[in-house]
Amino acid sequence: MASHLLLAPAAGWLVVFLLVPAAGLILLSLAKNGAYGEVIWTFGLQNYRRAFDAKYLPVLLRTFAFAGGTTVLCLLLGYPLAYYLSFRAGRWRNAMLIGLMVPFWTSALVAFYSWMIILGKEGLLNAALLRIGFISAPVGILYTPFSVLLGLVYFYLPFMVLPLYGSLEKVPRQYVEAAYDLGADRWTAFRKVTLPLSLPGVIAGCLLTFVPCMGDFLTAELLGGPRFYLLGNLISNQFLMAQDWPFGAALTCLLLTGLVGGLWLYRRWEAEA
Amino acid sequence: MSDVSRRDFLKAAVLLPLMPSLLGACRRADTRRVVNFYNWSNYIGKDTLAVFRERTGVEVRYDMFADEEEMFAKIRAGARGYDLIVIGDYLIPRFRTLNLIDPVPASRLKNLDNLAARFRRPAYDPEETTVPYLWGTTGIAYNRRKIGKAPTSWWDLWDPKYKDRVSMLDNARDCIAVAMQLLKIPQSTRAPEDFGRVRELLVKQKPLVKQYSSSSYLNSLVAGEIDLAMTWSGDLFQAARENPDLDFCIPKEGTYMWVDCLAVLRGSRHREDTLRLVDYLLEPDVAADIADTVRYATPNEKAFPLIDRTLRRDPRVYPPPKALAQLQLHHVLDPEQSELWNRTWADVKVA
Repeated sequence: MASHLLLAPAAGWLVVFLLVPAAGLILLSLAKNGAYGEVIWTFGLQNYRRAFDAKYLPVLLRTFAFAGGTTVLCLLLGYPLAYYLSFRAGRWRNAMLIGLMVPFWTSALVAFYSWMIILGKEGLLNAALLRIGFISAPVGILYTPFSVLLGLVYFYLPFMVLPLYGSLEKVPRQYVEAAYDLGADRWTAFRKVTLPLSLPGVIAGCLLTFVPCMGDFLTAELLGGPRFYLLGNLISNQFLMAQDWPFGAALTCLLLTGLVGGLWLYRRWEAEA
Repeated sequence: MSDVSRRDFLKAAVLLPLMPSLLGACRRADTRRVVNFYNWSNYIGKDTLAVFRERTGVEVRYDMFADEEEMFAKIRAGARGYDLIVIGDYLIPRFRTLNLIDPVPASRLKNLDNLAARFRRPAYDPEETTVPYLWGTTGIAYNRRKIGKAPTSWWDLWDPKYKDRVSMLDNARDCIAVAMQLLKIPQSTRAPEDFGRVRELLVKQKPLVKQYSSSSYLNSLVAGEIDLAMTWSGDLFQAARENPDLDFCIPKEGTYMWVDCLAVLRGSRHREDTLRLVDYLLEPDVAADIADTVRYATPNEKAFPLIDRTLRRDPRVYPPPKALAQLQLHHVLDPEQSELWNRTWADVKVA
């Protein structure tokens, strides 16, 4: 009995912060949109039927492309950084970790506005490129796929680096040394020992980057133009502009189902392998 | 020892969620004199509220939004605690239908008669449940230095030579109204093929559009990121203070005017002081000072002679009588039309 009671706080936490909101979301997604966006609590599948419309397919594919691209770029940039932090940084390690965290402490809104100042036609980057004569007229960098990708990579890089760093830290240094003793060069030792042992971090980092990226809307809203409309923008627009909460909830449920389903399939595949 | 503390912990864990309601039960009625005012950013005089506080001892907590639909979503989601809000004429039927605002009792406002006759008992609010605050038009903003010839028509926003230099207001009301005007479709329509044509026209423009935005595009205009924009009159005049190359025109096809109104939110706990503030905002010198600052037009007839001379004579702000007579208010949309407009706009954004 007492042991059950001890679970109460955790169970309570799950109920209050996970089950209740999720149930609310599912109920809302089945409701009807009434006059001026009033929610009418009669239930049906009409919102889900509306969501499976070909016009949303490009948005979904675009979101996959941006989320996937961000994950790959974060991994390519993040792995060397995490490796350096774990194996080489020495006494600078803590300072560098803090440096990595600083962008977390500023609001994303402020950070993206700073990027807008840097990337604008009369911004710092254009001014610098003009000054060194690399370009002859200001180029539009803002509101392009590049600026969206830059914003996403900038924001999600720490989500990738921290798990990578965590798992690289756990790689026993004796194993690497043993590899050297057995005649492996540095590249072989990395490829055969360090990399496989850090794979859990790679997977965790990729998930932590990819999953929130699929729902990101602020980056595209601020740094992307109208042609880089992502799933997150579609959902937030239902709530904030179109005043169609049930449809927004249905889209959210589908996104969540897709992500959770993907994770589950991955887990099963991993268990079998 | 550990048992006791564990039990205490559990007790605390059970009681903690109840704490707010316990606290609520013994909270006394709010007696401080404050009014919570929710308004657009840059939409009031510099010391309007400070003077009000000096005169009445009532503190106004001023909170800002940058997008009406977002504000509506927030209020509808149950953001209580605001007493007074500014809402566009087209939102009033929505707020009334959803019972979000209380009618302002006309008998309680000494200064209501300062308003011009045109703004009394308007089509969007025949029972005068709200009080007109400022009005303006939707037109085209452009950078004189970068756009050789001043735009004259809404079609200029569809001109491929301005590719990637155009911004459009991010809302269904303005964009769909203009598309309907260009296609000569009446706003009262509910025919799906009409909305199909509207969507087609707006989607056709999309490759030229750099931004759909109702506020941040002003920074882009000032910074030269874009050179042509659908804008609200006063916002552009404010931006022109920072970049004198910016100008505003009302397209030859004509345009719509809109009226932003003061409304008292239902459930306001500071009703008396809120009405006092509304009455104060209707005083001629207060209204004139606000109009001078924000560069939108005032519906306050008594305030008009007090407004800065050059501003008062600026036909872009106060169109001459003939042009004024041609300005129409937006059609009052019923719920079904409102949904058609919103869905069409959402489809344009997705396309």
